[in-house]
Amino acid sequence: MKAKEFKPLPAQPAPVSTIGVIPWLRNNLLSSPFNITVTVIIVAALLAIVPDMLDWLIFSANWSGETQAACVKDGACWVFISAWSQQIFYGSYPDGEIWRVNLSLLLLAGVIASSFALPARLRNKVSVPAYLCLPFVCLLILDGSYIGLKEVTTDLWGGFSLNVLIAAASIIIAFPFGFLWALGRQSDMPFARSVSVTCIEFFRGTPILALFFMGSVMLPLFFPANVSVDKLLRVWIILVLFMSAYMAEVFRSGFAAIPKGQYEAADSIGLGYWQKTLLIIFPQVIKVSMPNILATFVMVFKNTVFLLVIAVPEMLQVIMAALSNSNWLGGHAIEGYLFVGFIFWICCFSMSLLATSIEKKLDTSHKN
Amino acid sequence: MTLAAVGLVVAAQSSFAGSTLDAVKKKGSVSCGVSTGLAGFSQKDEKGNWSGLDVDVCRSVAAAVLGDASKVQFKPLTAKERFLALQSGEIDILSRNTTWTHTRDTSLGLNFAGVIYYDGAGFMVSKKLGVKSATELDGANACIQAGTSTELAIADYFRENKMSYKAITFDTSDQTRAGFESGRCDFLVSDQSQLYALRIGLKDPSAAIVLPEVISKEPLGPVVRQNDDEWFNVVKWVVNASIEGEFQGVTSANAKELQANGKPGQKRLLGSEGDLGEKLGLPADWAYQVIKQVGNYSESFERNVGQGSPLKIARGLNAQWNKGGIMYSPAMR
Repeated sequence: MKAKEFKPLPAQPAPVSTIGVIPWLRNNLLSSPFNITVTVIIVAALLAIVPDMLDWLIFSANWSGETQAACVKDGACWVFISAWSQQIFYGSYPDGEIWRVNLSLLLLAGVIASSFALPARLRNKVSVPAYLCLPFVCLLILDGSYIGLKEVTTDLWGGFSLNVLIAAASIIIAFPFGFLWALGRQSDMPFARSVSVTCIEFFRGTPILALFFMGSVMLPLFFPANVSVDKLLRVWIILVLFMSAYMAEVFRSGFAAIPKGQYEAADSIGLGYWQKTLLIIFPQVIKVSMPNILATFVMVFKNTVFLLVIAVPEMLQVIMAALSNSNWLGGHAIEGYLFVGFIFWICCFSMSLLATSIEKKLDTSHKN
Repeated sequence: MTLAAVGLVVAAQSSFAGSTLDAVKKKGSVSCGVSTGLAGFSQKDEKGNWSGLDVDVCRSVAAAVLGDASKVQFKPLTAKERFLALQSGEIDILSRNTTWTHTRDTSLGLNFAGVIYYDGAGFMVSKKLGVKSATELDGANACIQAGTSTELAIADYFRENKMSYKAITFDTSDQTRAGFESGRCDFLVSDQSQLYALRIGLKDPSAAIVLPEVISKEPLGPVVRQNDDEWFNVVKWVVNASIEGEFQGVTSANAKELQANGKPGQKRLLGSEGDLGEKLGLPADWAYQVIKQVGNYSESFERNVGQGSPLKIARGLNAQWNKGGIMYSPAMR
C-alpha cells in the first residue's frame, strides 16, 4: 500500500475577529467588566488632565524672550530655562573657557565609544587605561593651571556637565576599588577580608546624604588648621568610596555566578592567583555583572543631585539659585523642576537602552 | 597589576598662615562665604555674576585691601556649613545673611564685624482682609515655614499681646507662599527682607501688603574669625566707611571730586588727608576705592534691595540715624 503523502494545508489568514484595531481593543482593554471599568476611568482621567497639561506645557507657554517680563501668557515660562541655560549646563565656568568642559565631555563620550568600537584584542590594552586616565585628564583640562591654561577654580564648575563628569569620574575610580574590595571580601586572608568587609558595610550602610554632610562639615575638622582640601575633591572621594562599596557587591554577585569548574580548570593548567582572577574569572564576572554595573551607574548619576545639600552648584542647585534671583521671583519652580526631571529621565532612559543592548551583545547563551 | 596604583591628586591649598590680611594680599583675592541664593542679598545672575547686599560687603573689602572690587572668590555655603567654613579657613569673610546673636558671637570663635541690614520677622496679609496693624490679627491662621526662628518670634509676640493664632506650617518658603496664595491662612510670617521677595512671587503682588510691625531682632552682618584683630578691624571699618560715605554725602559719582576738593571730613574719609588707611594696614585711598567701585551704603541698598531692585524694600530701620533709621558709623578720625 502506498503511503499517504503528507501535504500541509496552505496557511490561512488569521480570523477577522482577531486582527485589526477593534479586536485588539476588545482583547486588551475591554475583555471583562473590570477591565472595561478601568479603561473608562483611565481614559476619563487622561481627558481631564492631558489637554490642560499640553496647553500649559506647549500651547500657552512662553517660548521667546530674555527676561521674566517676556512671560505674559498663562502657560509655562520656558524663557526662564533658556535665559539660565548656560548656568544650567556649565555653571559659572568662564565664557571663553567652556570649550574645556565640552572637550572633557567629548573625551568621555570618545572613551565610551572606543570601548564598543575597538576590536576585542585592543579593548583591554587601550580602553581600560583610557578609562582609568580619563578622570585625571579631565581634572587637568578643567582646572587648567597645571597645563598652562587659565586656572578655573572648582567653585566655578557646575551645572549639568558637573553632574555627568563627577558621576563618570566616581564610577571609573570606583571600578578598581570595588573589584579589589570584592576580591578581599572572599579572600582567605583574615586582614584583607576584615578590611574589605568593614569598608563595604560602612559605605553601603550609610545614606549618601549623611556621607556628603560628613564630607563637607566634619572632614575639614580633621585637617590641620592651614590645610583645606577642595570641597569638590572631598565630595569626589566620598562618591568614589560610596560607589566602590556598591560595585564590590555587584562584583561579588558576579563571582558567585561563576561555576566552581572555571576556578578548578584554571588551577589545573597551572595559572597563579592573579592570572586566574584576571584572565579567567574577571572577564566572565564583567559579563554577568554588566546589567548591574549600568544600574549602579544610573544610581550614582541620579545621586549627584544630592550635592545640592552641601551647596555644590550642580544642575538642581543652579535651578534653586535661579529661583531666588530677584529678577526671576515669579515662581518658576515647576518649570525648573520639570526640566531637571526631563533631562535626567532622558539620560537614565538612554542608559537603560544601552544596558539592554550591551546585555544582548554579551549574551553567549550559556547562562547558569 | 597596576589597577591599585591609582594615585589621588590631593590639591591641598594652604589658605591662611598667620594674619588673614597678609594672606589675602598674598593670594590677591578675598574668599567670601555667601548663600546659595537669597534674593537681594547674595544671588547669581544668568551670567554667573554675584550681586547683593551681602556680596557688596566682600566686594568692598576687596576694593579696600586689593584696590579691585572684582577680586573676590565667592563660595556658596549652606546654613549648616557656614561657620565651619570660616573656622577652618576656607573663607576669609562670612557674609551670608547671618544674624548677630550673643551665642554665635561668644561661643563659635567668631566676631561679628558690624550690621549691614536690620531685619526682623514681619507680617504679610491679603489686602482684602482690611487689616492695618498686626494687633488686629487675633484668632487668625498663620502660614509659617517650619523650623525657622520666626516660629518662636510669632509665638512670643502673640502671647505677649494676649492674642491667639493657628499655625499652619510648611517645609519650604515656596510652599508657604502657595499656602498663603490659596487662602489657607490669613497672614504669612517671615523675615521682612524675605516678605518682599515672597510678595513679588504672588500672582498679584498688589493684592498683599506687608504690615509695618517688626516683631523680632535679626541684625545681619559679616563675620570673621576671632583672634585676628587686624582683619576684624579692616572688615569693620570697611562696613563703617560705606555707611559714613552715605552720611557725608560721598557717592561713587562724586568721590573723585570730593577727594580733591571736599570738606575736611570727606577728605579724611577718602584718604587725601590724615592716615586712616595706614592705621588699618591699607592704602591711603582704601575708602575711596570702596565708594568709587561699590558705592556708599545707600547706593548698595537701593541697587540690591531698595527702589532700584524688584524688591523695593523701604529703608525703614536701615536709614541713617539722622533720617529715622539706626545706621550709624562711629567717628572717622
